[in-house]
Parts: sequence; C-alpha cells; structure tokens
Amino acid sequence: MHESRTGCDNGSNEAGTNFVQAEYWRSADDLEKTPAFRELMAREFGPNAQELAAGDDRRNFIKLMGAGLAMAGLAACRRWPDTKIVPFAQGQAGRTTGVPVDYATCVEIAGIAWPVIAKSYDGRPIKLDGNPSLPFAAGSNAVIQSRVLELYDPDRSRELTKNGKPSTWTEFSGWCGDLAKQYKSNAGVGLAVLVDDSMSPTLDDMKTRFLATYPKARWVSWNAMNMDAAVAASNAAFGGSFIAMPMLDAAKVVLVLDADLFGCPATGVANSRAWAKGRRIEETDPSKQSVSRMYVAEPSVTVTGMSADQRLALRRSDIAALAAHVAKELGISAGDALASKAGELASNEVVKHLVADLKAAGRSALVVAGPMQDPATIALAAAINDKLGSVGTTVSYVPGPAVGGGAQLKQLADTLASGGVETLVMLGGNPAYDAPADIDFAAKLTKAKQVVHLSFYANETSKSSACMWHVPAAHSLESWSDGRAIDGSIVVQQPLILPMIDKEQGGRNALELLALLTGDDQTSSLEIVRRAHMKVSGLSGAAFEAWWRQNLDRGFVEGTAAKSAPAPAVNSGGVSGLCSTAAATVDTAMEVAFLFDSKVADGRFANLGWLQELPDPATKLTWDNALLMAPATARKLGIATGDVIKVTSGSATIEAAAWLLPGHAENCASIALGYGRGEVAGRVAAGAGFNAYPLRSTSAMGMVKATAAKTGANYAFAHTQDHGAADALIADVPTTGINDRLPTLVREASLAHYKEHPDFARHVSHVAHKLSLWEESNLDGARYRWAMTIDLSTCTGCSACVVACQAENNVPIVGKAMVARGREMHWIRIDRYFRKGTVDAPESFAVQPVTCMQCENAPCEQVCPVAATVHDEQGVNVMIYNRCIGTRYCSNNCPYKVRRFNFFDYQRRDPSREEGVLKVQPDYYKSMAEDHYPITDKPEGWSRMQFNPEVTVRSRGVMEKCSFCMQRIQAAKIRAKNAWAKAGGVEGGKGEWTIEDGAVVTACQQACPTQAIVFGDLNNPKSRVAQLVKSKLSYDLLEELNTKPRVKYLARVNNPAIESASASGGHGAHGDGKHEANHEGTTGAHS
Amino acid sequence: MSRFLFPRWSNLLLPTIILAAATIPVYAIFFVAYGFSPKTLEVGYQPDQPVPYSHALHAGELGIDCRYCHTSVEKAAAASVPATQTCMNCHTQIRPESPKLAKIKESYATGLPVEWSRVHKLPDFAYFDHSAHVNRGVGCVSCHGRIDKMEVVYQKSPLSMGWCLECHRNPEPNLRPTSQITNLAWDPAVELSKQEREALKTKFSIHPSQDCSTCHR
Repeated sequence: MHESRTGCDNGSNEAGTNFVQAEYWRSADDLEKTPAFRELMAREFGPNAQELAAGDDRRNFIKLMGAGLAMAGLAACRRWPDTKIVPFAQGQAGRTTGVPVDYATCVEIAGIAWPVIAKSYDGRPIKLDGNPSLPFAAGSNAVIQSRVLELYDPDRSRELTKNGKPSTWTEFSGWCGDLAKQYKSNAGVGLAVLVDDSMSPTLDDMKTRFLATYPKARWVSWNAMNMDAAVAASNAAFGGSFIAMPMLDAAKVVLVLDADLFGCPATGVANSRAWAKGRRIEETDPSKQSVSRMYVAEPSVTVTGMSADQRLALRRSDIAALAAHVAKELGISAGDALASKAGELASNEVVKHLVADLKAAGRSALVVAGPMQDPATIALAAAINDKLGSVGTTVSYVPGPAVGGGAQLKQLADTLASGGVETLVMLGGNPAYDAPADIDFAAKLTKAKQVVHLSFYANETSKSSACMWHVPAAHSLESWSDGRAIDGSIVVQQPLILPMIDKEQGGRNALELLALLTGDDQTSSLEIVRRAHMKVSGLSGAAFEAWWRQNLDRGFVEGTAAKSAPAPAVNSGGVSGLCSTAAATVDTAMEVAFLFDSKVADGRFANLGWLQELPDPATKLTWDNALLMAPATARKLGIATGDVIKVTSGSATIEAAAWLLPGHAENCASIALGYGRGEVAGRVAAGAGFNAYPLRSTSAMGMVKATAAKTGANYAFAHTQDHGAADALIADVPTTGINDRLPTLVREASLAHYKEHPDFARHVSHVAHKLSLWEESNLDGARYRWAMTIDLSTCTGCSACVVACQAENNVPIVGKAMVARGREMHWIRIDRYFRKGTVDAPESFAVQPVTCMQCENAPCEQVCPVAATVHDEQGVNVMIYNRCIGTRYCSNNCPYKVRRFNFFDYQRRDPSREEGVLKVQPDYYKSMAEDHYPITDKPEGWSRMQFNPEVTVRSRGVMEKCSFCMQRIQAAKIRAKNAWAKAGGVEGGKGEWTIEDGAVVTACQQACPTQAIVFGDLNNPKSRVAQLVKSKLSYDLLEELNTKPRVKYLARVNNPAIESASASGGHGAHGDGKHEANHEGTTGAHS
Repeated sequence: MSRFLFPRWSNLLLPTIILAAATIPVYAIFFVAYGFSPKTLEVGYQPDQPVPYSHALHAGELGIDCRYCHTSVEKAAAASVPATQTCMNCHTQIRPESPKLAKIKESYATGLPVEWSRVHKLPDFAYFDHSAHVNRGVGCVSCHGRIDKMEVVYQKSPLSMGWCLECHRNPEPNLRPTSQITNLAWDPAVELSKQEREALKTKFSIHPSQDCSTCHR
C-alpha cells in the first residue's frame, strides 16, 4: 500500500519547489507533491488496484483462468436454472408482493431513540431513514443507516448458553422463575440489574415494577458514552442535574468547546440540521443574507471543527482555561483561578474576536461544552450562557440523571467486590470491555455467584468466565419497545420481522427478561409496552386503541416533547470550586484524549462492515482507529505515520499505531474508543484498530496524562485521503501559467466577500473556450432533465450519504486490503481538503462530496467499446452492467474518478482482511445454487436479505457508479403514470402526466442531515433544484473540461472572524491570489 | 525407388477441406444464432407444476378474470401468484374431494406454501413492471399468448431484449382499451381501426422509451 509520509521529515522538498502550493491539499503528500502522490493523481485507481493480490504468480492466474473458462462453457448450454415461485398459503391483508411498505419505528443509540422510517420489502427490512414527521429527525447518519445491517449480521449471537454450554430458553425461564421465588422472599437482597442507558418510558415502568417487587435490589445504568462530567458540572453549578440542549438554529455566534456536535451518532443529526438552518443563504430572500459564526476549540479534528468558521486546535486540558478566560472577559469571576492559566490564549487574536462577538451577540450567542471536557468547562459554559442571557433563546435545560453512570458502575463494582451482589443481571451493554479500567469490572464480575447477560452479540462480557447465562437479544427491528427522542418525544419501536434466531435460543429484549424476573403477568414485549402506554396516556379501551394506532402510524406520541426546565440559577461558588480544582491540574505534560467517533460509537457497532469501511470524516482512515497527533508533535517524538506507539499512563499501557493529522493540537494525542476488540467482536471487527479503554478511568473519562514511545513495529493503514485526487492541477505544469487560471475544485468565500461579489464562484475561473472533440449529446426536448445540487456551505462531511447510498444501491464492502489498493466501491466519496497554511497548521478545512457528475458531455461514454455507458433521454449517464465487459476505459477517462470497478465478486465474499486469491477462492467458485434458496438457512446468507431488490447486484468484472437512484426515478414515474392512466389518461382532463417536485428523493438526499443535497427536474422551473442551479453560487466541477455536469456545487460561504489573506475567494486567482500562492509555495512548505 | 505418391483418393481431400472450411463456420454461425437464441431456448418452456392446475379450464372455459388470482398486476411490478387461500375460496365448495387438489388442501391446512415452477423468468438485471403496461393498454395476451387455451402454461414469447424492443419501437399493434386488457380472445387488429389504435396511443401518452435505464438499473 501507499505509505503516507506525513511531513515529519524537515528535509528538502524533493518534488515541490517548482510547484505552486495548492490552496487546497488532501494530505501532506499532496502539500509537498511527493512523487508517490503525483503518480496517484495521474492514475485511475491506487497503484496496486490493477495487480493480482500479492504472492499470486502467473501459474495460479492461468489455473484460475482455465477453471473460469470451463465453467463458463458449461453454464452457457442451458436455460436459466429452474426457480420456484412461493406464494403465501394465507393471503396477507394490505400487502402487495414487490411493493415496499414503510413502518415508523426507532433505533436507540446511547440512550437516545432516533425516530426512523423502516422500509420493508416483502417482509424484510431493507432501509432505515429519519422520520420526517419530526422535523429534527428527517435526516440520518451512518450509524442509523447501518442498524439494518446489524439485524442480518451473521455474527450476532444465536445460541443461549449456560456456563458456556448450549442451553434453551425453557431451561433459562425455569431458572428465572426459581430466582424470582428466591428473591421475593428476601425483598431482593443481593440482586442487581445493570442496564444500558435508555430513556424508554416502558423500561422506566419496568424499573418501577422491579423495584416494587424487590425493594432492596440495585438498579444501575451505564454507558461508556455518558454524561458524567455534565452531571458533575450541573450539580456544582445549579445544585441539581440538568443537561444543556443547544438550539443552534437560533444562535448567531456559537462557541463550541470540544464538543463533536455534528459527529455524535446519537445527537449529530439534530444538531447539524439546526446549525444548517442558520447557514443557508437564499439568494432571493433578503432576510436570509447572513450566516451564523461558529468558533470551535478542539484537540482532534472532527466534522464540527471542519465546519467551523474559526477553529482553535487546543489540548483538551487547555480548553477549560479558554472557557475561564472568556468568562473573565465577560465579567464572570468564578473562573479566575483557571483564567490565570490561559497563558498566550489571552492574547490570541481569535479569542479577542470571540469575546467581542459573544458580547455583541448577547442573547443570540451560545456556548456549548462537550461531555468529555472537565466539569469546570461545562460549568463555565453554563455560567457564560447565563451571563449572556441566552438561556431560553439558544440553550434550554432538561433534567438529567441524578448520578452519573460512572459513579453508579463504580458503586456496583465495589458492592460486587464486597460480596454484596449475589445475582447480577446485565441487560445489554458490554462493561467487561468498556468500563473504566480502574473499576476492573471483568474481575469484579467473578465475585457474583450468578451472572446473566442479555446481549445482541456474544461479546467480551458474555464470554467472561463469570457469566453464567448468555441470552441472545432481539434486535430493535424484531421486538416492541419505546424510547425518547432527543426532544423528549416518546417514540414507539415496532418490530418489522420475527427474530432471525430460534425462539428457544432467546431473541427476547430487556423488557421481556425483566418481566420474567419479576414474575410479571405480561410476558410479551407488545403487551408490556401497551401497558406502560396506557399509564402514560391515562386512556383505556377504544380510546386507547385509537391513540395507540395513531402513534404507531406516526411513529411518535404527540405532545410528549420535553418541557424545558426553568432556567436554574448559577451558583458561582460551585463553579469556582470546580475551576480551582481544574486549575491545579493544568500542566504541559503530554496527554491522550479519548474520542467517540461517528462510526463504532463505544464499540457496539464494530462488527458492521459499512461503518468499518466508511472513511473517517477527518482522517479518511478505514477499518482502524489510530493514535492521532499533530505532525509537529510527532516530529518532536520522532514518530511517523504507521509507527506503533506504546502509550503509558500510570500502570496502564496500550499500543496503537500513530496517524499524523494536520490540524491536531500539539503536545497531545487522541484516540477513538471502541476499537481493538479482537476476534470476540465478530469477523468484521476482528483486528480492526486499537483498544484505548485500558487508559480510561473513572477519574479520567476524557483524557489522561501519558507518555508515548515508539515500539519499533510498524502498522499498515488503509486510508482514502489521496484516492480520487482529481485536481485540475496536472503535476508537471510549471509554476506559472495554466494552473494559475485553472478553477479550483472547492470554491468558497467569506460572508463579507460574498456580499461584495455575490457571483464570486463564477469568477474564480476563466475558461477561455469550451470545445468538444465529439458531437455533443442533444438532449433538447427531453421530458425530464434530472439534476442535483450540493451545497458546500452546509455540507459537514459527516458521510451519512455515503452509507445511505451503500444501503440503497447494494454497494459492497471490500475489506481493508482492498481499500489499501484503492478498490473501495463507495459511489460517493467525500473529499476532505486542508486549506492553505502548513502541514502543522492548516488554516481551515473543506469537504466536498463527489459522486458521478452525470456529465451531459460524458468522457466515459466516448471510450466505451460496447456502449455499456450511454445517455438516456433524461440526461442521466446510465451504466448497463449486463453490457459491460470490464475494459475500464471509462474510469480511465473519467476526470472525476467516480467510477468503481468490481475487481472481485465482493457481494458473495466474506469481507476478509486476508490477502491472496487462493484464500478467497472457495467463496468465489462455489456454486450459487447451493446457497441460492432459501437463503436464510445459513446465517452467512442473511446479509443478502438486506439487498434492495430494485437494484442489480453487480458481479465481478463490471464497472459501476452513481445512477442518480434510477430505481427511485422509475418508481416515481410508474406511480405517476398509473394514477394518471387510471384517471383516464389525456381524457381525464388533467393534461399530460407529471411528476411533482420532491416526488423523487435520492438516497443521499434523504439521508443528508443538513439538506445540502437537492435533487429534481431542471425542466420544471419551479423546482428547488432549478432555482439553485440558477443561483450565482452554483458552479461546475472542472468546468474547463466542458463535461457539462448535471451535479452542480453551491460555493461555500463561511463567516470567519479574521479574513484570511486569500479567503476572499479565488476572485483574484489571476491577481493578488497568484502572489499569495507563490508566497505560500516557498515559505509554507516548511515552516 | 520408393517415391511417395499420394493415393488417388487423396484428390478428394482438397475439395473436402475447402468445403468443410466454407461450411463449418457458416454452420457454427447459424448454430449459435439460432441454437442459443431465446426463441429456441426459451419459447415453449413448459415445466411440470406441482398441482395439475388448468388455465384452460379456469380462465378459458369458466371465464375467470386473470385479475381474480393475479391481484397485483395493476398495482405492482409483479403480477403475483395467488395464495393457496385464493384456490380455497371456491374449492371448499367445488370438488373439495378431488385428488388433484391434495397439495392445495395440504398447504391450506399446514400453512406451508405450494412451490410452483416459474415459467416466465427475466434476468435479475432486467426490471419489467406489469402495472406500467396493463394500466396503459397492453393486454396480457400480447406477451403471454392464449393462456386460456393452455392446459399447462408454457412460455409463448422469447422475452428477449430484442423482442421487448420490437413493441417499444412500434407499440400500436399491441394497444387495446383497458376494458379489454384481460380478454385474451379480443384481437385489436380485428376490433380496432388504425385510427382507433392511434387514438389509444394519444390517450395514454404512449412514448415507449428505448433507454437502457428504462429496464436496467
């Protein structure tokens, strides 16, 4: 694979001195224009993409070819294999074969239920999307999208075990009955329940019933992604537990203190949606000519930081001092002890602007502190919001848990250690893996006599020798439950499918297990939820039935959104107490900050291939986490990307490979939790990343002071940051000349510049002439002209679209080794650029989703020898798999590098991390017939149940790419035409049939939390997309090639406090900008 | 001296070789073109069905409308094969003891499906939609033939791409009023004038697409 050299050598720039430094760069290699990067840019795929796997010689190749030919010969001589049609025995009311049905339900992530619409195709859930009936929930993220894959995971637990040996539900429920009898006699002394965090009202009801049955039993709630610091801060600042809910849409100035508002799998969608409302400039609406301003201070790089207008890279422990300094400037004295540690931050230009902006914005300002911060920061944020008067306008408070999960878990562990817990029932969760290391939960577990673990996967906790019973849990798409959405609304979780596992092997959820434990008269989850909802609604009989049906239909219970608690008064004594404690620990020692990334969360989604293969929004790493650090820090420690580092903190050590990330804070490192789970996590997660939990303790949930040392070993990452480098800059163009005039791929300007030059995006480039070598496609008179716009102002790079596309279009995962070779199959890639600056300090970031541009003048079409890629009348560049012979000329000729080639039959293959043709051979060459029908007999075939039947599953040797969700366009057309024809056609009196704007929604558009993607028909002048295409901000990617793309970008308008020298757009690309570029080119490379 | 001389019969060798060289490629071309064509391989395919159900009796003699069983043909891509229950709507009353119904009754009692053999099969990469055709004037008979005369259903048309395109290029001969969609005996060529057929084309705005994306995605 291509090893990234990330600027740790200070030496001469072997390639770059003759080149203008690009304003935007993908990686340190790009910045320096290393030969490796230049080669990559000139290529279609990565350097090894077109080679056979390592170690395969010519002889093997010929053997395989021979086998392939023989089989092809045999296969050609017969009709299709005989297939069966299997109708129902009993008709199903309301179901039509082949017509998908949508159900409103929810999936829970870190205790917060996300309302979703689940699409069921012939009884199989195949897609999840946000429920648009709740305005905040209309989008989704990668995790929500992937939960449907989780349902079909062949590695999910399928066997109920007792002391590691197979058992049955009958035996288990008998045992539970005995247990209930035993504990009813002593009021539950020695009984404890540990649940995964949840806000479910029904679980609450069951908790009440449980504690009523066993008054002396313990009830503990734990989640690694907890709000412990917020609870501690709130207890000090307010004398009670309150959680701050930001209202980003109402804020004019936002200060984000180390909170990944947009990347958080549980809350990111709602936050980014609200933020985007304040970032959209509507050309025709005079009231929407301004955008909010967001300051972000963070140690690592997150999607929130990349979207910031002004970003400060600060160590996690220094952020409290920043908060205290800001508080002091605003006249709050509680943090003075801490403010004195602010050091040079006090004289920082950005901070001065920040303070002035906060003062000016007053009630419209908002300060948000992240849950991994020191409680002092969170308390200070509350004090500042209070001082600014923004409580009620930009932030509200809702009641939080009385005791943090960490404290609860520690108490439980102590009781376990003292022998106070005889029976521990764990409903979900994985504390043996994710509990703070100082608790040593796995060891404490052995002190209990009997341990029950209900879990979706047989994970570290289930496999612990202390675990007596492991019960496979039902998926949320398989059982009834409920939860609370982020706004507090009750959402109902209704099943779409029976448990995929044998009922005798479990397939129950926490509610059913609790019912069993309490000897409840209701045993089915449906009845348990209904009972709780009768209590919530106070209704019964027919009135309740009507209410219940309505809630199921809609997906949520109207009028149950949380009422914000009255603004609590800030107790400055409490805040200053926290600040003094924090001030005492400020030092300059190296530290490691923990992150929860937007993929695996606390580790529970580690076995979902879509998430593992999704490039991290900031690092573009796949299949791994890494010890992230700034290039400058790495240089000081003599570390390069891929070096395995031993991190030591006290007695705890971990090993993790380093990844150098420009924009990371110096003198610290950060690492995402939830990786490094090993074989127990399943075949996808096995070997992915490094486990950082051993460093985390109850006293240090956010970060630890640690030392880092090289072990000498090396680790190969698979990353995509240089893949698809399609820059207009051709590597061998000299300093001046053509590349000065070439338009840039990302176009952006500050708000101030936009107001002066609203058409800046059109003036970045001057394309002298647009000529075609070929006769251009004539699309005049077309009924539809489908087009898409992507708004770079609101795109955060969260990558929800990538996974949504994967789910909709049967895009396979290919495994780490294949990604390293540049063979990833995602139809959308998100290019992440660093802007200007140096490898140590990029000025800002830019993200740009790139999908097939659907060029009207498509270069791919001109070179296909078999016309497998052609235009249809609607102007869509269509790819016909059955015609493709796999020459790959098209992708070679695609300037955007958006075509993907099926080097193997990825859909039939285990996503193995192994290399080598022979290793995967049995999978490739086994007959389809043996596992063709019925596919559910083998768990390995389960994931095929997720396939969208409306999209062809591609096989080896064909090219594929974005189709503008052709299946959705066709479905909308057929729907419209049928309704029109039934009404009498032309004679029906309504003229020709039409499709309304908004009737076709592409998968990426549907998933986008910020509504940055708009799709529609250009022939309809009233369509949203037609208006956006006309906007002055819209531009074509690589317009000098005259490809006439149907995908247009809307240039980014950001709002930095300090105008960058050339942030005033590329307007001066042939004026001042040129000098700027040269200047950067000579000094910027090595400061 | 023994000079080798070609025997007399070898004089025939050259013309034979020439003849073979000239005919074998021609034969091969014809063999592939006709032998591998869906017209040869697909048309007439008539698999055995688990139940001796006769379309000739039900759809022909008794005149049951196609849509009584194939309920989703106007609503969905698939016409769908009926549930066992549909058979039993009548057969609880009519000939309930017939041994031919054994499998149907068994399925009805156990709830396990009857596995019918598929006759008409398109490749997985081709997406045909029944509703788009039957709602706009293309009748069942155009593709399936006189099902009402088939004791056991067989494939009447090749269902090849070329065959689809014949109609997409020239749809008029296959258009009929929606009232006659399931009437297999009704022949538009006899019943309608050319003008009437063209009027139908206008009425339903029939502009069949020949784009790849119409059927492949």
